[in-house]
Amino acid sequence: MPMNKSLSKSVMVAALLAFSFLLACAPGAAPQAAKQELRANLAAEPETIDPNKAAFSTQVTVIKQVFQGLLSFNQDLTLKAVVAKEVPSVKNKGISEDGLVYTFKLRDDVKWSDGQKVTAKDFEYSIKRLLDPALAAQYASFYHDIKGAKEYNTALGTPKEPKKPDEATLKSLRGGVAVKATDDTTLQITLARPRNTFLQLMALWATYPVRQDIVERFGAKWTEPPNYIGNGPFKLTEWVHQDHITLEANPNYWGTKPKLQKIVLRMFTDLNAEYAAYLNNELDMTRVPPGNEKQIIADAQFKTQLLRNNEMVTLAFQFNIAKPPFDNALVRRAIATAIDRETFIDKVRSGVGRVAYAWIPSGMPGHQPDLGKQYKFDVAKAKKLLSDAGYPEGKGLPLTSFQYADTSGNRVIAQFLQGQMKDNLGITVNLEPMETKAFQQLVGQKKFQWSFFFWGADYPDPDNWLPEVFGTDGGNNLTQYSNPKLDDVLKKAAAELDEKKRLTLWAEAEKIVIDDSPVVPVAYRERFFLIKPTVKGLKTTSMDATLPGDWFYAEVSRG
Amino acid sequence: MPRPINGITEADRLPRRHPSLWRDAGRRLLRNRLAMAGGIIVLAMVLIALLADVLSPYDPIKQNYNAILEAPSLRHLVGTDALGRDALSRLVHGARTSMTVGIFTQLIVLAIGLPLGALAGYGGGRTDNLLMRFTDIVYAFPELLMVILLQTIFGGSIYMLFLAIGLVAWTNVARLTRGQILSLKEREFVLAARAMGATGAVIIWRHLLPNSLGPIIVTVTFGVPRAIFLEAALSYIGIGVKPPTPSWGTMVQDGYGAIFSFPHLVAFPALAIALVMLAFTFLGDGLRDALDPRGR
Amino acid sequence: MSQYILRRLLWLIPVLLTLSFITFALMHLVPGGPWDREKQLPPAVVENLNRKYGLDRPVWLQYLSFVANTLRGDLGISYVHQDRSVTDIILNALPITATLGLLALILTVALGLSLGTAAAFHQNSWLDYICVFYATSFASIPGFVLGILMVIIFSVTLHLLPTGGWGTPEKLIMPVIALASIPAAVLARVTRASTLEVLHQDYIRTAHAKGLSQHIILYRHTLKNALIPVLTLLGPEVAYLVSGSFIIENLFSIPGMGRLFVQGVFARDYGLIMGTVLFYAFVVAVANLVIDVLYGVVDPRIRYD
Repeated sequence: MPMNKSLSKSVMVAALLAFSFLLACAPGAAPQAAKQELRANLAAEPETIDPNKAAFSTQVTVIKQVFQGLLSFNQDLTLKAVVAKEVPSVKNKGISEDGLVYTFKLRDDVKWSDGQKVTAKDFEYSIKRLLDPALAAQYASFYHDIKGAKEYNTALGTPKEPKKPDEATLKSLRGGVAVKATDDTTLQITLARPRNTFLQLMALWATYPVRQDIVERFGAKWTEPPNYIGNGPFKLTEWVHQDHITLEANPNYWGTKPKLQKIVLRMFTDLNAEYAAYLNNELDMTRVPPGNEKQIIADAQFKTQLLRNNEMVTLAFQFNIAKPPFDNALVRRAIATAIDRETFIDKVRSGVGRVAYAWIPSGMPGHQPDLGKQYKFDVAKAKKLLSDAGYPEGKGLPLTSFQYADTSGNRVIAQFLQGQMKDNLGITVNLEPMETKAFQQLVGQKKFQWSFFFWGADYPDPDNWLPEVFGTDGGNNLTQYSNPKLDDVLKKAAAELDEKKRLTLWAEAEKIVIDDSPVVPVAYRERFFLIKPTVKGLKTTSMDATLPGDWFYAEVSRG
Repeated sequence: MPRPINGITEADRLPRRHPSLWRDAGRRLLRNRLAMAGGIIVLAMVLIALLADVLSPYDPIKQNYNAILEAPSLRHLVGTDALGRDALSRLVHGARTSMTVGIFTQLIVLAIGLPLGALAGYGGGRTDNLLMRFTDIVYAFPELLMVILLQTIFGGSIYMLFLAIGLVAWTNVARLTRGQILSLKEREFVLAARAMGATGAVIIWRHLLPNSLGPIIVTVTFGVPRAIFLEAALSYIGIGVKPPTPSWGTMVQDGYGAIFSFPHLVAFPALAIALVMLAFTFLGDGLRDALDPRGR
Repeated sequence: MSQYILRRLLWLIPVLLTLSFITFALMHLVPGGPWDREKQLPPAVVENLNRKYGLDRPVWLQYLSFVANTLRGDLGISYVHQDRSVTDIILNALPITATLGLLALILTVALGLSLGTAAAFHQNSWLDYICVFYATSFASIPGFVLGILMVIIFSVTLHLLPTGGWGTPEKLIMPVIALASIPAAVLARVTRASTLEVLHQDYIRTAHAKGLSQHIILYRHTLKNALIPVLTLLGPEVAYLVSGSFIIENLFSIPGMGRLFVQGVFARDYGLIMGTVLFYAFVVAVANLVIDVLYGVVDPRIRYD
């Protein structure tokens, strides 16, 4: 077939054009941040930014900038008063002697971003709304110790025993919640039973004030700008769904005005994309995709941008101890002793994270640095434990399946565990990667055999860590571990009002758990971020949400 | 051989010589150098997969924490991965999974897509409408949900993977076959064959399919790398081979995480996939040329 | 013809109904629901959520009320984005994905057709081999790797283009190229194959013998007949491009339909799943209808009885 001239010519021209485009690609200039602007990646669209409904860290990061509660945390996670005049205590009569009645005195100069005054009524409305069963707030059960709260919040019953109350009943139940604004600057809350950590709960986002008139006027749309009225240092000016959120300094802010004029929260879902955006100066801070840490630590330029901080998150393996072979504590102890955590952190994780032997992470009150050291990596000891359990050299041990939600991080951990078991105990472990929700249901229904999980702090107290996970009726006791001795100590600790005695009791409880080993703590998480050196004054805590330092962005500046 | 203008050859009238069309094609294929190069590559890959245990320098699942994420060197020709495993050994062993997945899924796709498409195109009318609406449903089918369900009911074996990919990937081949046959079936040579009393099956097999294979072969060639990557994506929800068994797709996917620092972890498995794809392309082109009775 | 189109449009009803039923059933059969968490929610909270979304009713009743509500144009509230309706979310994402998809489609067709016909007319020439090389290399790298390579070159190294997001024209460039590269490769190869098929047909040879000019042969005979498989492939390709690719949208952080659907499935956002699947099915069916009609335009011998 002869050549078709015009056609081949046009193709040639096109190719030439494409090539010259590539040649013309002289390096451009990287994007720049505006003055006093902070650009960060929220990593996902926050599902809601309604303080009462929020449950996930992306949501909390936004809410913390726009709202402020009665109390908040200092950098060392002690409590400070924000909208409240002072942190209530027995001494200043803020807490009654029996630990049941809390009286919050509010500052009278606190304003909403539209200029109106923040009153105790706004807090009363917010807490009652939080407990409204129709709102179905996920953190509502944290506040069930308030008198009347549980009755109102569970008025619809449970999936197994549904109830059908009428409107009037619901209304009277709402009225029965013992949260009362006695005047504009006084909020009184009565508990049904003493709760030591109640003040910490009052520092969480779920109890931040919410404006009744706004919620009722705009309905579900109240969380869109400009309806989203808060009392914090920033206000929401733009929300392009699934793309970015823009916060700007709130001109009506009642406290020290923030130095940052603008915070842009992007929604890069891919970790490599986030990292690339940082390298292209589109972001001022980024996570580092796992696997790159070694290079970054070795790089002189990145070294000055590195931001590492410890988080109160424990990574652990959990056993289903209702089924053999994990019903045998010796098997569990053998496994706990056969995992080389030091190598895991130093080599596999390039030194990111801290080796864990105990459950309660360092940084939290009640952390015991020496607990669990009997499980320090020791192959001979592990083999002996396994043989004592009746499985010398792993012989006779039934094949176990390790289930995990498959992400690239978990995939490495699972294969590491599999290798450790094979090399150190001669045990073959079958890996079962699963889709995340399917895995969560399997674990929730206690049908798993052996799995990986992590537990993070909602507030800095063992109260949030022990009864829920290891108590016989703990809502997250998925190992089905049950020890009456432990239950007894947990009950005493929860009722103890003396701070010192309480911590001793928690320590005793944790020791029982570690001895019985229903879970094997492996590591405490560490945040590994890069941040532009021009960002000044960032203050991280071990309990930040999605972004490091997000409790204190009002104090950050660009220099 | 004298050839009438309407494309009917001697063979059409002589039933006992029917296989000659496909046999001739085979002979022509063997003479095509590029196609043979492709065939040799595929054969070599199959051999590598079969002899993986002999060929690989290290145990592909043995972790070495003192050699994590190493660049290619003489000790480890294509480097090591996040758990210090030799990437070359994993590549060689990965050929097993990936070659099997690439080839078998495409066979399933052909086995479902070709007859369905041919039936719809040739049958026309109500048959066509029903089959194609069914294809529409399968095309829009939320396979992600189905795959998650399959995993929990049957566990994640490699057969489930074939089922999962095969059950949804045939729609393009079916629609292509139908389109080709729709446009060919009113041509003179088909009408002539029909006038001479050839049955539908004979017409499809001897006249319509050989003349419509070109585009179908191309999509199937593209299906090979697609299936290899799909295997990797699905292995993340527990379908297909389980870690630590390597496959090219999972190697690319796992390597992607550290691509900024260690691009070689992605590059080598991607190269292997490219080589296989190229081989199938040459083979497919050769097959198309060989089947085209007028081509040479 | 108009009667045929009408009949096909009517067929949309059973197709969409069947698909909605299958999807609904699958969705509820699949393990894990919208309220499953790493940290388990208390039963009272789960019940409150179930009540709010009507999940406390029997499944068949839920399906019927879904159908009834959909017919009234109400797809319900998202299970994940609890302050937004599914319709609202889809309408937000749709124009974005459509813009991206149409641009990618134009690029696909332009690149695929020109490369494919050129390769066929110059079978076994350097142009042909470039076509093979292009197709092989692009099909052998998964979309996310191709995307990040582009990002590394054009954003991180050359600082020419933003890495991702939506809103300005330059943010479109890389996603459109990444989205079009593989479909264009497939199209180029298929065009080449089907053009060769036609070029070797006797009537083209006859036309040649009759001394018709190359142009006339090209346009009057070859392209037209070679278009059938190209059209066939374009049907699902249009559907794919217009409904969005999760991989590309995820990598370039584009707030489109593809990411929405996959996130919906992984979060078990029942409302969002039903909404996106039905929308997708609608696009697929209509695209295939258009293709079938175009078959007849291209080749009048094709009839539908």
